[in-house]
Amino acid sequence: MVLNFKRIRLEIHKGLILFFTCPVWMLAASILFQACSGQKEKSTTVDIIWENERATGLIVPSAYVNEVPSDSITNLLRVYLSGTESRTAILGDYQPSDDGVIFRPLIPFTSGLTYEVSVAGEIIGKIQIPHSDHKDLPELAEIFPSQDTLPENLLKFYVRFSHPMREGQALRYVTLLKNGIDTVQGTFLDLQPELWNEDYTILTLWLDPGRIKRDLQPNQALGVPLESSTSYTLIIRSGWPDTRGAVISDDFRKEFFVGARDSISPDIKKWVLKTPRKNTTEPLVILLNESIDAVLLNDALHVMYPDSTPLKGQIELKKEESIVEITPESPWRKGSYILQSEGRLEDLAGNNLDRLFDRDITKNEERAEQEVYTLRFEIQ
Amino acid sequence: MRKLYYALAIGLTALLLTASTHRNAPPTGFVNGTPAIQTISSLAFGPDGIIFIGDSKSASVFAVDTKDKTNLDKAAAVDIKNVDQKIAAVLGTEPKNINILDVAVNPVSKKIYCAVQTADNSTVLLTIEGDKISPVSLKDVSYSSVSINNAPAEDAKDQRGRPLRVSSVTDLSYSDGKVYVSGLSNQEFSSTFRSIPFPFVNKQDQASLEIYHAAHGRYETYAPIRTFTTAQLNGKKYLVASFTCTPLVLFPLDELKAGTHVKGRTVGEFGAGNSPLDIITMKKGDESILLMANSSRPVMRVKYKNLETYEGSLTEPVAESYATAGVSFVTLPMTNVLQIDRLDDSQVLVLQRKANGDLDLWSSGDRWF
Repeated sequence: MVLNFKRIRLEIHKGLILFFTCPVWMLAASILFQACSGQKEKSTTVDIIWENERATGLIVPSAYVNEVPSDSITNLLRVYLSGTESRTAILGDYQPSDDGVIFRPLIPFTSGLTYEVSVAGEIIGKIQIPHSDHKDLPELAEIFPSQDTLPENLLKFYVRFSHPMREGQALRYVTLLKNGIDTVQGTFLDLQPELWNEDYTILTLWLDPGRIKRDLQPNQALGVPLESSTSYTLIIRSGWPDTRGAVISDDFRKEFFVGARDSISPDIKKWVLKTPRKNTTEPLVILLNESIDAVLLNDALHVMYPDSTPLKGQIELKKEESIVEITPESPWRKGSYILQSEGRLEDLAGNNLDRLFDRDITKNEERAEQEVYTLRFEIQ
Repeated sequence: MRKLYYALAIGLTALLLTASTHRNAPPTGFVNGTPAIQTISSLAFGPDGIIFIGDSKSASVFAVDTKDKTNLDKAAAVDIKNVDQKIAAVLGTEPKNINILDVAVNPVSKKIYCAVQTADNSTVLLTIEGDKISPVSLKDVSYSSVSINNAPAEDAKDQRGRPLRVSSVTDLSYSDGKVYVSGLSNQEFSSTFRSIPFPFVNKQDQASLEIYHAAHGRYETYAPIRTFTTAQLNGKKYLVASFTCTPLVLFPLDELKAGTHVKGRTVGEFGAGNSPLDIITMKKGDESILLMANSSRPVMRVKYKNLETYEGSLTEPVAESYATAGVSFVTLPMTNVLQIDRLDDSQVLVLQRKANGDLDLWSSGDRWF
């Protein structure tokens, strides 16, 4: 057994020397000493298991482990980060297989890092996890609100990405510039956890509400986050990694101008409906009179059939989120329909159907809270 | 006689079986399996080694039986330098690729549990015992769960794809048969606070909390709770919560009912330009004290007896910027403390970013606080 390991170790040493002189493209497949040394014995190659572009395991071939008692595998076989003095064993599962032992770390191996595999203290392999060659780098897909003139008391931005992004990075990569020169500090609320949708493609960025609300201490000390009659640039900087480790390659800039405060709640009674004809799938067009929160429009607006079942269909936002078109899957039937909006639907300043965002509630100005507001319309 | 003998034997066996079954019986409502935990946002311990896991992505709270029930009265002192490097090493990555989301101590075994997020946003649960860092498997465990989603969002599924709304869990606590959860939506600006009886049942008392935030000079209805605990003051149970810009607010827990607005009493203003990060309760001698870690201010200490005797309510803005008001408190010579938890009756567990950038996990006896 010992001799066997020594023999292998000699080969490895040879392999390792060649490993470092290998062309980079050869490293990309997995490791390796045997590939580089030209030896064909598959049994001496430690291979990487790839799943969904992530290195989720290693196959340690039988040649190294077949004489290790199965109950000693976890003690004798170690995988650890190369270059660390402690040689701390990485946590994971060891599963016997036809090819040897499969090691699956608790989390996938990290691209660009090098790992060592040892058996009974002897290094049997050194593996560099190649950087994935991501052909589809993450990109910034959309920013809401989409319009280029925003209210002074804007409450939030939604940033949508083409890929799920890494959490906990937002405030490192989001910058607000005033008049193209000055970086504005402390604009966005630092939240833990950050507010992402379920698949980490849409980030909600709150402008600090304490600074938006008039007369509040942060508002008095630091002023409003956005000053009216001023130009700003929201910059999403390159380098922000997605969950695969691929990064945004170019800065994205949204230029906007800040106008007056919005101190009026949306009012469903003021919406104008353009009703479609019966037996068609023409859209129901809703003119909102102002830009409304795009994500909430998608979630908080519903059309009910005359029998109160929800209409199945698609929703489309137009003209800077001030027009909504709802297209049914099945043709409209003649009769009464109900357009429902949840009370939580907000305009760009966080004013919802129930109340203004910035208000002195000692004056009791708010309306009675309602779960839903409704508008009835007829299909002729 | 033989019949009697058998009857007695059967009876005795049944009795033993019943006792044995009872001793090993899972808590009410628990099932065996693999909970569908999507992310670990927040941790808290309940009774008998039950860990509560707040999951912002599935908008649920999971209760998992850790089976970690060996009682230990006093924990060994903790002093782990560069804990992020040590965790990264056992995960086979670099410290920049991990984020320690929450740390909680099992009050029975005094073992440290730690939720860590990795670069692909997945989360793992680890235990830390001395130098040993081990994974906690969440497969094939005894667990139960409860959804914290709002009913309207569920009703809103009208074939437009998955709802985009997420009820983020910002903090979690257990006390006297109830799990308390503070949450924040990624859509509308609203803060929710839920009181959920444990073992979980379908009934939840959900309240929106209203506070008079003196540092803000106006009523704040929807400010999100950043951190909270529960405490007994003058014989009555209170939610002790803190918000951005650091008001300390008391809410009577018996008033938290479904669908109600509960107005809190602001008893302290601990300064604008700061967010509270963690609150715990400790005993020093006969005295109960509250410790609060902060983003931009040192750890603060408040004596509960001062909270009990402070009868005022701060309703006026603090005149001077960044000044403080209300119940007296002491700032401890300890900055950049990111998380604190009660390690045992006399020790506090501290996760601290040191001035040189190191992230250390250590414990301190009551002389510190």
